[in-house]
Amino acid sequence: MSNTSVHRTLFPLLFLLLVGVFTGWSTLSSAQETATGDHVKVRWLAPDTFGPGEETIGFYFEVDPGWHVYWRNAGDSGAAPRFDFVGASGKVGEIQWPFPVRLPIEHLTNLGYEGDVAYLFTVTPEAERMELVVNLEWLVCKVDCIPGFGAMSLSRPVADQVVWPDGDKALRDRFAAQVPVVVRGDTGFPWSVRSVTAEAGGDSLQLVLEASEGDSAATPAVFPLDGNLLTAKAPQIAQSGSTIGYTFQRVPGAPLPDSTGFVISDGTRSWQLEQLDIQAAATAAPSLVDGGQPLWLLVLAAIAGGAILNLMPCVFPVLSIKLFGLVGPEKHAGERLHEGLRYAAGVLVTFAALGALLLVLRAGGAAIGWGFQLQSAPVVLGLILLFWVMALSFSGLYEFGHHLMNLAGNSRGGAFVTGVLAVFVVAPCTGPFMGAALGAATLLPAYGAMAIFLGLGIGLALPFVLLCVFPALLNRLPAPGPWMETLRQFLAFPLYATVIWLLWVLGRLVGESGWLIGAMLMLTIVFAFWLGRHGFRGSRWLAWGLVLAALVLSFGAANKLQHSGAAGAALAQESSDWQPYDRSAINQALSREQGVFIDYTAAWCITCQVNKKLVLESQEVEALFRENDVYLVRADWTDQNPEITRALGELGRNSVPVYAWYAPGETTPVLLPQILKADMIEALFDSK
Amino acid sequence: MNTQRVSGKRSFRQFISSVALFALPALAVAVAVPGEQAPAFSEVDAKGETRGLEDYKGQWLVLEWFNKDCPYVKKHYGSGNMQALQKKYTDQDINWLTVISSAKGKQGYLEPAQALEVAESHKLAASAPFLLDTDGSMGRAYGAKTTPHMFIINPEGQVVYAGAIDDNDSANPAVIPNSKNYVAAAFDAALKGEQVAVASSRAYGCSVKY
Repeated sequence: MSNTSVHRTLFPLLFLLLVGVFTGWSTLSSAQETATGDHVKVRWLAPDTFGPGEETIGFYFEVDPGWHVYWRNAGDSGAAPRFDFVGASGKVGEIQWPFPVRLPIEHLTNLGYEGDVAYLFTVTPEAERMELVVNLEWLVCKVDCIPGFGAMSLSRPVADQVVWPDGDKALRDRFAAQVPVVVRGDTGFPWSVRSVTAEAGGDSLQLVLEASEGDSAATPAVFPLDGNLLTAKAPQIAQSGSTIGYTFQRVPGAPLPDSTGFVISDGTRSWQLEQLDIQAAATAAPSLVDGGQPLWLLVLAAIAGGAILNLMPCVFPVLSIKLFGLVGPEKHAGERLHEGLRYAAGVLVTFAALGALLLVLRAGGAAIGWGFQLQSAPVVLGLILLFWVMALSFSGLYEFGHHLMNLAGNSRGGAFVTGVLAVFVVAPCTGPFMGAALGAATLLPAYGAMAIFLGLGIGLALPFVLLCVFPALLNRLPAPGPWMETLRQFLAFPLYATVIWLLWVLGRLVGESGWLIGAMLMLTIVFAFWLGRHGFRGSRWLAWGLVLAALVLSFGAANKLQHSGAAGAALAQESSDWQPYDRSAINQALSREQGVFIDYTAAWCITCQVNKKLVLESQEVEALFRENDVYLVRADWTDQNPEITRALGELGRNSVPVYAWYAPGETTPVLLPQILKADMIEALFDSK
Repeated sequence: MNTQRVSGKRSFRQFISSVALFALPALAVAVAVPGEQAPAFSEVDAKGETRGLEDYKGQWLVLEWFNKDCPYVKKHYGSGNMQALQKKYTDQDINWLTVISSAKGKQGYLEPAQALEVAESHKLAASAPFLLDTDGSMGRAYGAKTTPHMFIINPEGQVVYAGAIDDNDSANPAVIPNSKNYVAAAFDAALKGEQVAVASSRAYGCSVKY
């Protein structure tokens, strides 16, 4: 720039000429410093006086509440704004896009900005005045969309020092901080890309990140740059330790390019990854396990988690049945071993079946979580029936007990069936270790996921098998005798308790009629047994008929009620402090910088209920929440709720309980442990 | 004991059926994918005639999603671009169906009589008056996300193209002459028996108002 003086006098003239000649718009006379359209106001973020060097300036969009404008990849519909520079007295760089948010609009997801946003770019003056003329086009949408057009000009002196108007520089800086840093070499990117994989003919693409400092609890949001390849729908997230897997849905039929890019945001900062090579899924999948957490470690964790399940209250009734069978008379060591192994087989086969089911559903794209079998009213009703019949027999009410004992204690099928049963009832007691293991299972390749499931099964069966293998342990148990009858009767009580709990679950699932249906079924069963024991003619047939009718009616009613959505009424009766799950309400609370506490819970989850009664709804904690104006959300997953399943997936979980705390002004949550204590809640506010 | 068996079987069956319910949303995602069979449909047009995929067996078929109030639809109809395409292909005995999936009360919904008027005023040159997919079943089966959203189905019933009408997502009609029309490009290749270069793209426009 040696000939600056000539340059500076000549250029503005030339520039005006150029603009006058080449623009279709009536040039500077109509172009202004602002542009407006329906629900949108646009103005410059620019200094009053430019300095000699490069300066980042922007188009500041103020958008009416509820309306949004778009990111570079607009998502499933919509369009990014366009800035067509028709004249500039200097260099103009590429447009810089602050990282977006996902905007679920009905059945679609858009990527963009609600409220205000500034699209930035750098300019370097090359004349005495910084002159810019730009044609704008934008699209603003709520559900309906309105395009806007405008022309804007800027004319500011260039001097030795930059002078910004009050506030605008801060505004510019705010959005500049949201522009992703392109990751090349060391840019402080807190994750590293483990793999980008996709099957050639598949409908998904998987990105696996690994946190550099193992402890980063927050799961970053990832936005695809290429809307032709990936849909904007939030990816399914699976997290295991420091490894986070994102499964994106591909645009149907879109050809797979060699590479693709993403923007990754932790809510305050963001990074841009460009041209990541896409590997074929088959070769890349095993590396998922190798480098991160070795599979054997995950399986060990699963075994430990499974073993802990034995200590949970839900398993107790089932184990007690088996234990009762084992300590019974005429048992040899060999038989016990077989018994133990059959039980283990029952557990393992069921876990394998559930694992296979998870894999099938995962392949089908359905997000699903542990404990889902208890989201079905008919299944709950079936369990009520089963435990009721067992409890009655334990109480010695009818002869059936001997048959059951035979079934559970002697026959080959018995131990196996007990094993199957154990898995089903254990579901609500997701132990502390199980969350991580199951989270990993959703991320791992099929064989790894199956290994996790079997690990859980081995853990669950192990203590029992050990008891069988080492008869010495059994010998320590008292010799059979009349005490057994007492024990048997005593063991009926946990079963009754389970029945009561399941009735309550049923009530939550299908509304008030749930307990009525359950209780009527129980009454009919007892009456049928009484009829059956009385020897008058035809009473047995009558009993069977009654049982059959009761089964058909109750299962039919439970099924129908659940699908007619009667549960809504039951769920609405929550205490008023806790709001039902509503994503947009939560987002609103977050945007007004209110603290948000989300309790992901379900009626069939005992840990959740204990936490709720002892901690969340204790007076101190409730007072604490009120003092700090926390927006309380109870995300009830008792019934099938895809919204909540999705939210859980985004947190890298697929089981409850999960406690998510968004401190005021934070958009990434802190997850609290699954076993809550009041001081943990207090600690949230102490640190403030 | 038998009681237990009965209930066991029953609850198992119920369990399986509840699992099927879980899996349903996943199956419902099945949409029109280039290279695969097009989803079946059967909808009534504005004149009350039922039209289904089977009626077009052995013929080429274009599906176009429409919402008269969408600025992007206005872009392509106001400029005459869409009608020109419709005419170009219907003249070659290629079928063209324009579908309205707006639900009653939502933007773009039309009663049959109104739909006939709109067809008239828009100089619609499709093979039939608008298909009225009021319950959104056809739109959802195809995974129609935006208006316009275009699909081309070959005589074998396979989807040849799915996506945007062209490569420029501006709402400004002035960009049309310089845009690459994906539908025309797909036909140019497919009718010659060649591979369609761009068989899928991000459909731009307004969301379909299901």
